[in-house]
Amino acid sequence: MNEKELIGTEQIEPITEGETEYDFYFGPAHSGSGNFGVRLKIDGEKVIAARADPGYLHRGFEKLMEYRVPMQNAVLSDRVCILEALNWNLVHAEAVDELTGVEVPQRARYIRVLMAELSRLQSHLIWYGVMSLALGFDTGFKMAFGYRDYILDVFELITGGRVYPAGYICPGGVRKDLPEGYEAKIRRVLDQTEEMMQKMKHFDNVVFARRAKGVGVLNLEDALRLGTTGPVLRACGMKTDVRKDDPYEIYDGLDFDTPTEKEGDAYARCLVRGKEMEESIRIVKQVLDRMPEGKVREPAKIPPPSRVKIPEGEVYVRNELARGEGCIYMRSVGGREPYRVKIRGPDFLHMIPVLEHLLKGAQIADIPAIYWSLNICPADMDR
Amino acid sequence: MAETTHKENKVIDKISSKFKIEGKLQRERRIWVATDKESLIALCNFAKDLGFEHLSAISVTDWPEEGTFELTYHLWSYSEKILLTIKTKIDRTNPTVDSVIPVWEENAQIHERELHELFGVEFKGNEDLAPLFLEDWDGPPPFRKDFDWRESVRHRYYDKANERERAYWD
Repeated sequence: MNEKELIGTEQIEPITEGETEYDFYFGPAHSGSGNFGVRLKIDGEKVIAARADPGYLHRGFEKLMEYRVPMQNAVLSDRVCILEALNWNLVHAEAVDELTGVEVPQRARYIRVLMAELSRLQSHLIWYGVMSLALGFDTGFKMAFGYRDYILDVFELITGGRVYPAGYICPGGVRKDLPEGYEAKIRRVLDQTEEMMQKMKHFDNVVFARRAKGVGVLNLEDALRLGTTGPVLRACGMKTDVRKDDPYEIYDGLDFDTPTEKEGDAYARCLVRGKEMEESIRIVKQVLDRMPEGKVREPAKIPPPSRVKIPEGEVYVRNELARGEGCIYMRSVGGREPYRVKIRGPDFLHMIPVLEHLLKGAQIADIPAIYWSLNICPADMDR
Repeated sequence: MAETTHKENKVIDKISSKFKIEGKLQRERRIWVATDKESLIALCNFAKDLGFEHLSAISVTDWPEEGTFELTYHLWSYSEKILLTIKTKIDRTNPTVDSVIPVWEENAQIHERELHELFGVEFKGNEDLAPLFLEDWDGPPPFRKDFDWRESVRHRYYDKANERERAYWD
């Protein structure tokens, strides 16, 4: 499709009598879409063409990181995706660790996984909230955000930040050891999250099944062709998980399943995320049970930036984020700053080719359901 | 090491016997190969047939002193569970390369569109290289190494009458 076929907002023409086709702009500044827009061509109630219009959150992280040392980049990596800042912290820290070849202490690895899984849980709760909102189910939205706050309390206790942990997971380990009483607090929050999941199951049939079943169907062949990853791909019947296939940190020693569904519609994607939350809770419990003692960073004292150099080399690190596959390609020529950083966010594919593909032929009323069933985050697409 | 990287070595052997290039085994599940621009598409097709059906990302690294752009194609195989990176260098003054859309279709299309905007690389065969992130941008491709973003911001937005901005820029 050519951009000229779909005109911008400033050129929207009035609908003339007898014509059924018109242009429609979804987003870009709407609570239901995030900072992202889709230009739609609609005939009656049916979408006949869609073109994503990204760029509202482009901050140029890849370029900014070329001017900063890894400890500064760790803070910057929070901002790649607002909704799962700790997971992006982890991707960045792993890329630097692999280049420097530092032996990350075992306790730090456990803390990293603990935080990444809690972050996945709160990210899925946000998704549940906005998905409910998109389906016109305000109660679900308020409940999910309420329960998410309990997890944010844990983040505040451990990292000092509720949404942005300020590079808590940093090269070499984590910035600070866990505070006293963290375990009881986290276990209490897990109970609260399980309580929320019980409620979610109860609402599944009432709201989600009716609005999301059979909507936005993606078959496996298209999913692979369009570069889909994560829960969206698993909802098409593909059993794949970076944590299992390409294990990092301590994931190969943990016991968890990879839930899949076959239908590939918006409802299947909802089910996969629901089951994933259960698996995340299982992981967090195992991590809490096995948490070893010891150092949390190597070296324990952060050396002055002028002394730290990244050895020459290149790495490609893959992680399983709440939304799919998140990767960083990092190239160093032996300087203090990385020479080139490429950030690959899952939503770059989900929000442009996948969304355009799914919206074609959909009804106007189904747009929010399709849009949020992909659990998209404009921040990690634009970077 | 030899036993755990058995499948990786098999992939490297297959590629090097067909294309006469050396593959580098970085660690478990990570293979890097470098090729020239002419045999890129043939190698990509061969890799896809080997099972590398997921194009994870395409990236460009700018080497102004050398006068080249280095393209890296990061491929994941769901069946073998290996990440293969194909690297190729192209001339910086005439940055054209064949598009990999025939191999990875829409997935490749959007990655190439992004790199065209940020690095100015021309992908032959990709018909939709419209601007993606930057609005009304008429400067040089901003992710190139010789683009000074600080100078650019100063030139475009520095309000000399504003005392606070003076403290920052001067």
